[in-house]
Amino acid sequence: MNIAHVDELDRIEMPEGFVWRPVRRRFGIRAFGVNAYSASAPGSQIVEERSESDLEHEELYLVLRGRARFTVEGDEHELGPGELVFVRDPVLRRGAVALDPDTIVLAVGGKPGEPYAVSAWEAMFAAVPAMREERWDDAIRIHEEALVEKPDHPALLYNLACMEARGGRGEEALAHLRRAVELEGKWAAHAASDDDFAAIRDDPRFPAS
Amino acid sequence: MPLRQELGLRAFGANCWTGEPGRHVVPQHSETSGDEELYVVVRGRARFTVDGQDVDAPAGTLIHVPAGETREAIAEEPGTIVLAVGATPGESFAARGWDEVVVAFAKARAGDVAGGRAVLAALLAREPESWEGDYNLACFAARYGERDEAFAALGRALAGGPADVADLARGDDDLAALHADPRWAELVG
Repeated sequence: MNIAHVDELDRIEMPEGFVWRPVRRRFGIRAFGVNAYSASAPGSQIVEERSESDLEHEELYLVLRGRARFTVEGDEHELGPGELVFVRDPVLRRGAVALDPDTIVLAVGGKPGEPYAVSAWEAMFAAVPAMREERWDDAIRIHEEALVEKPDHPALLYNLACMEARGGRGEEALAHLRRAVELEGKWAAHAASDDDFAAIRDDPRFPAS
Repeated sequence: MPLRQELGLRAFGANCWTGEPGRHVVPQHSETSGDEELYVVVRGRARFTVDGQDVDAPAGTLIHVPAGETREAIAEEPGTIVLAVGATPGESFAARGWDEVVVAFAKARAGDVAGGRAVLAALLAREPESWEGDYNLACFAARYGERDEAFAALGRALAGGPADVADLARGDDDLAALHADPRWAELVG
């Protein structure tokens, strides 16, 4: 048994304004995705606006405390404690704004018809505090751990290359960036204008956009 | 509150349990199916016991229980609500139908026997090879006065299920209405 109160979960403030409170990662859950979210202040984003087109997850949101205004493909729903939103169609854009201080939303997700696989974005989110504090070795370690399960995930490889370039590991950064571009060509264009790669951009092996 | 069934969840199981002080909000069980479960105290307060360890769980508490650990929870405040989410690691989620059986019996107890029968019929149509489906249909039919149907379903459950289905049947109060019928001894012994 593992136990925690939502107020004891880690608080990882994301650049988009919402606060990620990791649940699956804390407990080591492997059968479904589950996380909590809070907001920096009333009126702030609490559920990132996005679709689930890439992962094809269906998602169930529960307002655990406070109030939130959900917007699902343009339709607004104001929810209080104990109220749920189920978004079956992964294509639908969804997001939520906190209306009360201390609002907490729980999100549960998975892809129907397939065993659950840990999403790569979790490692990228988990590395945010280390990146913010320029603890590059820690950020690199978090990405490397995620790559054990997803060795050919282009976004993870690209992010790892960013951390390595920032952390003075130019050779590793070039290798991982080139692998990311090999797997998914769009990353070359991202890299061309990404400040993370300033230290290695002049290397002749840097991928051309 | 059968969330999976009501909402049509397909990637994981989810249900809410409500209870007044002293009543179960999570019945005592272990997940022999391999499911891991996350319980979330949405409102009120509950006392969880997992493999003999007691935990006080006010609203906002999250409790993760791996498969195999025996768990139960009792409400300690009025209107306590616990959300339970579960699935098996490494497997595609498939509804096992126990929640539909609970709904079917609840409908019948509330006077909607036809509604309960329809829920069970849908379950059996989805899982025609399931001995559990036939067994539950036998219980339902026995409870609600359809002896012929009950014996037919029980016969299929005994034929298709494991060897201990007969033991299960002998100790099941739902089937008590069948005991006096000569077909009971023939089937169950």
